[in-house]
Amino acid sequence: MLSKTLLLALTLAACGDESATMPPGAGSVESKPDAATPDLTPALPPAAIAVADLQAQAENIALVPSPAEMQKALEKAGVAGGLSALVQERAFKMDAENKDVVAVRTGVLLADAVLTVKDAPKEKLIERLDKVKLGLAALGAGNDLGAIIDELKNKIANDSVSRDELLKELDELHGATIPEIKYEAGERVVPLLQAGSWLEGSNLVSEAILKAGKPEAANSLLRQPQVAGYFLKYVQVEGADKAPVEVLKQLETTLKKLQEIASKPAMTVEDLTEIKSETSSVLALL
Amino acid sequence: MFFSTLLLAATPAFADEEAAETCLRAKIWDGYTSGFQVRSQTNTTLGAGEHRVYLITLYAGNEYKFLACGDDNASNVDLVLYDAQGNVLITDTSNDREPVLSFIPTMSDTFYLAVHGTRLNGADKKAGVSTAVTYK
Repeated sequence: MLSKTLLLALTLAACGDESATMPPGAGSVESKPDAATPDLTPALPPAAIAVADLQAQAENIALVPSPAEMQKALEKAGVAGGLSALVQERAFKMDAENKDVVAVRTGVLLADAVLTVKDAPKEKLIERLDKVKLGLAALGAGNDLGAIIDELKNKIANDSVSRDELLKELDELHGATIPEIKYEAGERVVPLLQAGSWLEGSNLVSEAILKAGKPEAANSLLRQPQVAGYFLKYVQVEGADKAPVEVLKQLETTLKKLQEIASKPAMTVEDLTEIKSETSSVLALL
Repeated sequence: MFFSTLLLAATPAFADEEAAETCLRAKIWDGYTSGFQVRSQTNTTLGAGEHRVYLITLYAGNEYKFLACGDDNASNVDLVLYDAQGNVLITDTSNDREPVLSFIPTMSDTFYLAVHGTRLNGADKKAGVSTAVTYK
């Protein structure tokens, strides 16, 4: 028994010293470079991935643009006014029994909070964040996220944060922190929440373009057939028997229409009017 | 000494996604000073030579910066941007674990962003890699 233990100890000790086991010049085990020492090995670009593999392997986690990103693109397209002034009051109930609907509602309210963060009265902003918090809690998000939102609300109430700083905080909450609720609330919550934000953004963008009389801007702002297709596939396959029938039917109809319009070579005023009308129909059912 | 040697020899090559995310969040926060905001940030684990592909929608006129951070197990992490037809648009040429790509699309479209664990500090290691899409 003692000799077996000694043998094992000697074997393990030998394994712990690479120089003792590596043949000279093999070089297959790289040493960890000192962080302060530049790695002078020539950088070879990775081999290109074939388009079929790109399509097969692509993950959709970064596919959907954020509402604030839509706003930036709108400003750069010369559509004055922005989206903030178009955001409506939403009397959503956040304790609904259907989690799918709560997720979409939370996405809409989160988009509204991000879009109005620079100029909404603080009471209104706090109210929106309160509802977002309620929605996230109903979806099963952990207490950490609720604490982050409470901290934001306190900063707003005490005027201890500038609106520019607040935009950063909300932006990170929307883009980086909330997507992590998939580990607590389930995988399907994040796309539904994104769908709510995207529908609200598309609704407001179409309205802003119509009001500005610049339908040509729609070609660079609303042509996202892949995004509509992603949500559509999700609603058709994953959403069946989950959301209330009328919401599901309208969502499917709307997404099909958005996908069809987004696939056109150029959009018209009629197309924009239809996008506005279709997205309003879904939002009204929430 | 013997036991520490024993422990080192037996330590598995765990990827540290949290370290990669901490590094990336600092870069995202730095980006705000030059007007960049974050669309999304995601973590993954890559072996040597492995990659992940993300489908992304980009708006014409917006300026995009794609950032990634690898953990201590990563030696060279690369980013490559492809158009919807699979043509390579830009490739990261740095030889480190914190690549950055900048891109201003001329038309709104979908693109593919690939993140590669090009070289790790050991063939048997796995690296935590965090990737973000930022814009202004």
